[in-house]
Amino acid sequence: MMHQTIKGSGVAAVKDPYLCLEGINKKYGLIEVISNLNLEVRKGELIALLGPSGCGKTTTLRMIAGLITPTAGRIAVGGRDVTRIAPHGRDMGLVFQSYALFPHMTVARNVAFGLEMRGLSRAEIGAKVTRALGMVQLEHLAGRKPRELSGGQQQRVALARALVIEPSILLLDEPLSNLDAKLRDEMRTQIRDIQQQLGITTVFVTHDQVEALSMCDRIVVMKGGLIEQVGTPHEIYEHPATPFVASFVGRTNRIKGVRNADGSIGIGSSLIRSASSVKPGDVMVMVRPHRIRIDWSGTERQGETANRIAASLSRITFVGDVIQYHFDVDGSEFIVEESTIKSQAGHHPGKQAVLSWAVEDTFVFGADQ
Amino acid sequence: MTTATFDLAADVPKRSSAAGIAVVLLLPIALVNAIGFILPVLNLARMSFNEALPGGGIAETLTAANWTGLLQDRFYLDLIVNSVAVSLGITLATLLASYPIALYLHRASGAWRTFLTVLVISPLLTSAVVRTYGWIALLAEQGPVANVIAAMGFQPPRMMFNTTGVVIGLTEILMPYMILSLMAGFGRLDPKVEEAARTLGATPFRTFWRVILPLTLPGIALGCLLCFVLAISSFITPKLMGGGRVFLLATEIYDQAIVTLNWPLAATLSMLVLIIFGAALAVYSRVLRMIDQG
Repeated sequence: MMHQTIKGSGVAAVKDPYLCLEGINKKYGLIEVISNLNLEVRKGELIALLGPSGCGKTTTLRMIAGLITPTAGRIAVGGRDVTRIAPHGRDMGLVFQSYALFPHMTVARNVAFGLEMRGLSRAEIGAKVTRALGMVQLEHLAGRKPRELSGGQQQRVALARALVIEPSILLLDEPLSNLDAKLRDEMRTQIRDIQQQLGITTVFVTHDQVEALSMCDRIVVMKGGLIEQVGTPHEIYEHPATPFVASFVGRTNRIKGVRNADGSIGIGSSLIRSASSVKPGDVMVMVRPHRIRIDWSGTERQGETANRIAASLSRITFVGDVIQYHFDVDGSEFIVEESTIKSQAGHHPGKQAVLSWAVEDTFVFGADQ
Repeated sequence: MTTATFDLAADVPKRSSAAGIAVVLLLPIALVNAIGFILPVLNLARMSFNEALPGGGIAETLTAANWTGLLQDRFYLDLIVNSVAVSLGITLATLLASYPIALYLHRASGAWRTFLTVLVISPLLTSAVVRTYGWIALLAEQGPVANVIAAMGFQPPRMMFNTTGVVIGLTEILMPYMILSLMAGFGRLDPKVEEAARTLGATPFRTFWRVILPLTLPGIALGCLLCFVLAISSFITPKLMGGGRVFLLATEIYDQAIVTLNWPLAATLSMLVLIIFGAALAVYSRVLRMIDQG
């Protein structure tokens, strides 16, 4: 394992940062959950902290909110050091995965809470609450109790409650994971729209790569308390800096290979090429399943830029919108995905084919990474 | 069930036989309750309308004299008011002493929580009599508490054989019940909700006042009901720590039944305690409804 703070090509430092995390470290006893984390976020940016559970993304978010104090390091918002400031002095809007609405208050009182704490007048509070509920289309439910609302409605109330105080930063802790798939898509668009409309700096914690890719300006991929890569969704997907990023964001084939001294990579008895530069020796080759083309006749010649490899079909999985072909290449398994069409020709296991894909779609990582 | 398939017709007799089993299983406890509790209470109710004869006899005549006499007698009216007031005071003191402990326990986790819970319950393993004697030793005129107060340069107050002693003793004895009731009623208190309040700008004090306290009201109501009922019906501690100088309903019932041998009057006072229980329950369910709506 390489233990660098930033392994990727992405930029963790930006011009005119609004939110700065500098050398953040968090230990629980002897266990270090965040190690030397550095991150800068621009004003108005929607940034995702993406990673599997236990990667430290929620801990990072809670440190920004002030609910956890870092063991070392500094957190600044708009130039103001907030590292030692209690959560109620930080002016941040936090939306929880479990909504965390006040069960004993109506929807309107929930949304009004933050404004009451700021000592606003009754009239001001009323107007702001109405506007915030309007933004999430829930004006008609102002008098209801949280338990009388659906999960999606509760999450929208939580969002309105966090936004109504016009926080300096909006923090979203897996806000969509308790919702069903269809609602999640709707909420994704709604959150992004509201965020753009208000131009509010937002940190979004998620373990769902689709959410991160589709909603965010930049993504911070985390693993084991370390940042693996920071970059735009396109950079993260097309230029993964580590094998972890390549396999966590999007799907990928992982095939063992050997890099020769001349730069070619051997997979079984075939040779392929890659734009990645790694040391000679054992390597891990990764290719996204939908970037591979299947040539069933085995005769079609492609340009010199493509990698070609002979394979034999071992299994077919029909997933509806895509069909997955599992190929065997000298004991390694390649999965190839194709969009389904109605008049698909039937192929049978055992059939021989040639797989081809572009050289730039070939990610190669040293086996020690 | 031997087969996985079953139709509705086969299900119906099965369900009614399940109900039959429930009745059979409930019958013993229902009988015990009927014979051991309901019949004696009815008997007490009847006795409260009988006439007491000198020397402990009971005349089987029907009269409301006990009740009218009770409600006209200044001593008994004071006794009722005093008993209710002292019990309410004990309940309040128990609540104030137990609430922080219960909140801490609610937030603790793992083995530490188990250990603390056992620690809280452990006083219940000792009889209230023994614990009362313990308090007598602690609070006596030359006891450790008085000595510490005297050593700090204050005149130690009388803490024994008066209401103060009874309140101190009963508060400690009732704390485990209060703590357990509070914890049972803290279910709605999600730490995330407190965090939400904090991030929305509430200071710890306002978080407590606006979020934690309202959400723990069900536990408070339950604990107060239980402790009030236990306090007003407690006998050993007021008897021993009151030293015959603190008059409460329970001690008076004992005196009337055992010392004066006026069983009809003792029965009337007992029924009165039951009525107070009923009133406490009515207040409790009213409070719960208010919490639910408010």
